[in-house]
Amino acid sequence: MALERVARKIPASLWNVASEKLIDLVLNSPNASKMPSDLAKTILYYWQRDQLATEVGLQRVLEASMILEPEKAITLMEELGLPAIVVMLRETL
Amino acid sequence: MKEVFFVVEFGIEFVPRDLYWKTTFYAIQAEKIGFDYLWITDHFNNRNVYVSLAIASAYTERIKFGPGVTNPYLIHPGVTAQAVATLNEIAPGRVVCGLGAGDRTTLQMLNLEQSKPLQTIRESVKIIREITSGKPLEMQGEIFKVDGATLNFKITSPIPIFIGAQGPKMLELAAEIGDGVLINASHPKDVENAMTFIGKGIEKAGKQLSDSDISAYTSFSVASSYDKALKAVIPVVAYIVAGSPKIILERHEIPVEVADKIREAIVHGQWKEAFILVNAEMVEAFSICGTPETCVDKIQKLLKVGVNQIVAGSPIGPNMRKSINMIATEVFPHLKK
Repeated sequence: MALERVARKIPASLWNVASEKLIDLVLNSPNASKMPSDLAKTILYYWQRDQLATEVGLQRVLEASMILEPEKAITLMEELGLPAIVVMLRETL
Repeated sequence: MKEVFFVVEFGIEFVPRDLYWKTTFYAIQAEKIGFDYLWITDHFNNRNVYVSLAIASAYTERIKFGPGVTNPYLIHPGVTAQAVATLNEIAPGRVVCGLGAGDRTTLQMLNLEQSKPLQTIRESVKIIREITSGKPLEMQGEIFKVDGATLNFKITSPIPIFIGAQGPKMLELAAEIGDGVLINASHPKDVENAMTFIGKGIEKAGKQLSDSDISAYTSFSVASSYDKALKAVIPVVAYIVAGSPKIILERHEIPVEVADKIREAIVHGQWKEAFILVNAEMVEAFSICGTPETCVDKIQKLLKVGVNQIVAGSPIGPNMRKSINMIATEVFPHLKK
């Protein structure tokens, strides 16, 4: 729930780039086996429908990133120039 | 680069070594960018091919898919018929069945002998075809005996059988009895040679070449630089060299004793020892490897020889997602209208 709130704060203009980078993070993570199967299936559902760069899709990808690669996900948000998101994500750890 | 377009379909092969959701993610991506076929390999030590295909089929809508390839030494053809028929219920009209004599190296791990491959494949095709056609099968073969086998459910559409082949006799048989041939080759010289035997098989069956789908099932690695693509392809080439018949090794001037050494190393899990024996000549002979431009050039050479499907087989590239996108943006536009 907390992460859904965080994702909502990401500006729509950055949904595409954030989604792309987070997906790479998730797919190439050495911790990929930590992905909950239900979350994986939800991501596949949104991917099939080209909705990973929408608010709901991004929420799920962010959730997966925070499970698999929390520090890298936070760094990525810093790189995207989203300090408020970084603070909110740190609070979820 | 000169644009020469052919009537061609593209397949992609995944090895379910990865987590199921990753394979499915890439399957969705492959469908989105325009691949026509999805092939998933069948090795006992990876994730199960039919489970992988079932979930991929649930998240895709158009792409045709099937085992690429299964083998009758590990899985009885009656069970293969059941599996592809069940998949056909999930995705009617999209299922194909790839069958071959199996990967010698993996079969060796289970102490399974690849005995009488030609007869085994011939009988297996009959079993799969008859059972999936819904007819009860009686067969007293040399390899398989079947007494009235039939499925307890209906099949709504035919399931084409593609046969994976590399050696001359298997290529001929594949063309004779298969709906399609998956030529295990990445080099135009091998495909050109294969077409001779495919022609014989087609003639024997009284068919036309246009009746069959002739595919080059390649080992494919595309990246922004040759070195990156090379690093990804070496393990796959090691497996191919290890499993290649003597005649093919000799065609590419690869010493049989080196191939034997690679096979022994793989069987004993000595990967580093196996991979270090793979050289540039082996990579050229057994893969399409390099930048998009290099890959397009080699694919065009294969198409000129007469195949009508190119399967981009494992590893695809050092980064699966990027490499699939690279195929979409830098390979397909030169080959697909």
